[in-house]
Amino acid sequence: MSRRHELRTLLRGALRPPDNDSAFLLDVHRRAVPRERMARYDDDYPVDLVIVGAGAGGGTLAQRLARRGWKVVVLESGPFWDPDEDWVSDEAGSHRLYWTEERIIGGSDPVELGKNNCGHGVGGSMVHYAGYCPRFHPSDFEVRTRDGVGEDWPISYEDLKPHYERLELELPVAGDYWPWGDPHRYPHTAHPIAGGADAAREGARKLGIEMRVGPVGITNGAFGNRPHCIYRGFCLQGCKVNAKASPLVTHIPDAIEHGAEIRADCMAMDIEVDESSGRVTGVHYMSDGRERFQRAEAVAVAGYSIETPRLLLNSISRRFPHGLANNNDQVGRCVMVQGAPQVAGRFPEEMRMYKAPPPEISSEQFYETEERRGFARGFSIQTVGPLPIEHAQHVLGHGHWGQALREYMRDYNHWYTLGILSELLPLPDNRVTVVPSVTDRNGIPVARMDYSQCDNDRKNIAFAKQTLHNIFEASGAQDVLVTDRYAHLVGGCRMGSDAERSVVDSDHRAWDVPNLFIADGSVMPTQGSANPALTIMALASRLADRLDLKRADESGARQRRRPRRRPRPAPTQAGAG
Amino acid sequence: MASARDYRRADHLPNLRSDGRPAPPGDLPRQRNGVTPQMRGRYPDYNVLEQADHWDPVTRRMVFERARTVPDVRFFTAPEARTLGVFCDLVLAQDAEPKIPVLNMVDAKLFAGELDGFRYADLPDDRETWRRVAVGLDAASRQHGAVDFVNASEDVRERVVEAFAEGTLHGEVWDDLPPARAWKVVTRAMLSAFYSHPWAWNEIGFGGPAYPRGYARIGAGQREKWEGAEAFALDPVKDTQQRRVQGS
Repeated sequence: MSRRHELRTLLRGALRPPDNDSAFLLDVHRRAVPRERMARYDDDYPVDLVIVGAGAGGGTLAQRLARRGWKVVVLESGPFWDPDEDWVSDEAGSHRLYWTEERIIGGSDPVELGKNNCGHGVGGSMVHYAGYCPRFHPSDFEVRTRDGVGEDWPISYEDLKPHYERLELELPVAGDYWPWGDPHRYPHTAHPIAGGADAAREGARKLGIEMRVGPVGITNGAFGNRPHCIYRGFCLQGCKVNAKASPLVTHIPDAIEHGAEIRADCMAMDIEVDESSGRVTGVHYMSDGRERFQRAEAVAVAGYSIETPRLLLNSISRRFPHGLANNNDQVGRCVMVQGAPQVAGRFPEEMRMYKAPPPEISSEQFYETEERRGFARGFSIQTVGPLPIEHAQHVLGHGHWGQALREYMRDYNHWYTLGILSELLPLPDNRVTVVPSVTDRNGIPVARMDYSQCDNDRKNIAFAKQTLHNIFEASGAQDVLVTDRYAHLVGGCRMGSDAERSVVDSDHRAWDVPNLFIADGSVMPTQGSANPALTIMALASRLADRLDLKRADESGARQRRRPRRRPRPAPTQAGAG
Repeated sequence: MASARDYRRADHLPNLRSDGRPAPPGDLPRQRNGVTPQMRGRYPDYNVLEQADHWDPVTRRMVFERARTVPDVRFFTAPEARTLGVFCDLVLAQDAEPKIPVLNMVDAKLFAGELDGFRYADLPDDRETWRRVAVGLDAASRQHGAVDFVNASEDVRERVVEAFAEGTLHGEVWDDLPPARAWKVVTRAMLSAFYSHPWAWNEIGFGGPAYPRGYARIGAGQREKWEGAEAFALDPVKDTQQRRVQGS
């Protein structure tokens, strides 16, 4: 931990984060992001950067570059959410938060998408993630060297560390002192935990497994104009309180303040390439049933692990007949999910697991390889807190239906649920492709995701499930229900040091296209067993540094020909959007 | 008269019983306040809808709309609706009125084309899968000698659904429709309808929408003042009558 950062975290939430006023730009009296003064750019105006997707990657990148005076337009397929009006404290009623357009899933272990791992709208999937914000471990960046599996990253933990530290202040992240990976402290104090988490932590302790509170991107105490969490437990349905971090409240307000335009309800269809220079010139998109084209000096794609490959594969040109940046057949490959089985335990007391945020405690004690377990890499243990529909699916997943299902559900208040994140390995045949014969309502081919586990994956998941079983046994649970599922999505356009085996270089730049960048989780070569949100943001934050450095070099060389850019754009006449 | 249940113990749960079946629901107390499906539940005096004044207006409108409406069947044909209605009742053990109108809720969702964002490569889209399941339930019932699913004996229907849940149905429709996957598709929609309904929340003692009030008492064995208390299984009136308790 850098010394300055260490001193800062000692002060807990008393200091505001540097260079990001988002929490202070929010309105005290309503939850919606103020955007009355948002800049509007004409489609014909070649902005410095078009970003596709306003989630963890795109939102962070937009804020960082707008702060540095870049003219940025973000195209977002979903709505610009107003938490007061658009979100509800209700499971079934939150259907519109998810990506519900058609996609096809295949392979021997298909991954269910939609509400499980895919969002849309400003804020992206972080609008409905649980809130866990762990860092990756230093070992994650060199698993091929250390463990002989997966792939080494072209960057190291040290490259991301300053960005992790900065983002933890911006979200802000609350939690206990973190002893795993690169040990560090968090800027906000750990939240109180509910009875179930307490029992599980005690059971784990008896087995020599340490669990700690956090780390969650949920305010503990007021933070700017974001209030304290109210422990209502609906984190996965969108935080109506504005206590849980998502780019919508952590980065978008500051991006808008510094001249970025967030153009919602705009679905990118393809990226145009200039056939002579091989550079991209802008993005075609649908808005209000009309096709439009935004010109740009550069394009960053941040549509996440399915839509990013889909957009590239659907961007066909003479130079790239198999899809943009896909001349080596790497786009869409090595897409990954984490094995996320859940184990629920039954206690004599009522636990009422719908209260408090679902993410409470976690352990990264099993994160790295340990030979005696018989497989490479590991898993982390977390809490889940499913609401009734989710818990009913858990009960049914264990094999109970009819009267048995109803009886287990009447027992809902006595249960508590732990979850696993198992690191599954990147496999080239786990991939996203497009299906020309099936198109969406704009006539664009939909994505297909194939997924199959390897032997190491199955061993990892089985061992992890047994560990949770043991924890519940040690905590005095009377009955246990187990169900299998997956969580998260990363990979699909990985970064690497070899164009034959990756899509982008260590600066997120497509190997064959000098002004095309990928700024989301799809660049990850491996996934560790940490929730990806914070790392996606950290990658975007680092990318902003790299892009700005590069432009400073270029403009230094061209300074005599070009006037310096003004730090704030003069808003042009609005087209629409 | 069944004996009272002690919910600190777990011997009402199927996994812990020798026959693997749950304690008979007839033991449960009747709902005294509000509605639960079949008017039984663990929290006989708890009606989540009484808390609606503490909910934000958008959520309140949505939940009341759901509790009030029984959507017309517009997606399924009448014969499909009959078959699938019986199927939904069996999977969700709705053996008496009042029932949560699960089939109508599923129908409304399918009619509106509200899908979940993915479909299995070896299945048609959810709408077509539902229709084929209706055909498949009849086909599977005929293999047991029944005319169709609706007219099959309770025992046959139970065996058909059991085989569906275990993914072992085969023949006719089922040769092109992997039953284990189709089971996931139909149960996902059914559970989402049933446990989104406030009557089901009453039955299981779920706190329901919680914005802007939130929760304060989150420890083991704690509940907010307004949350329902778990009842023991005896109806106090019947109990005192049957034991001839003399009272004032």
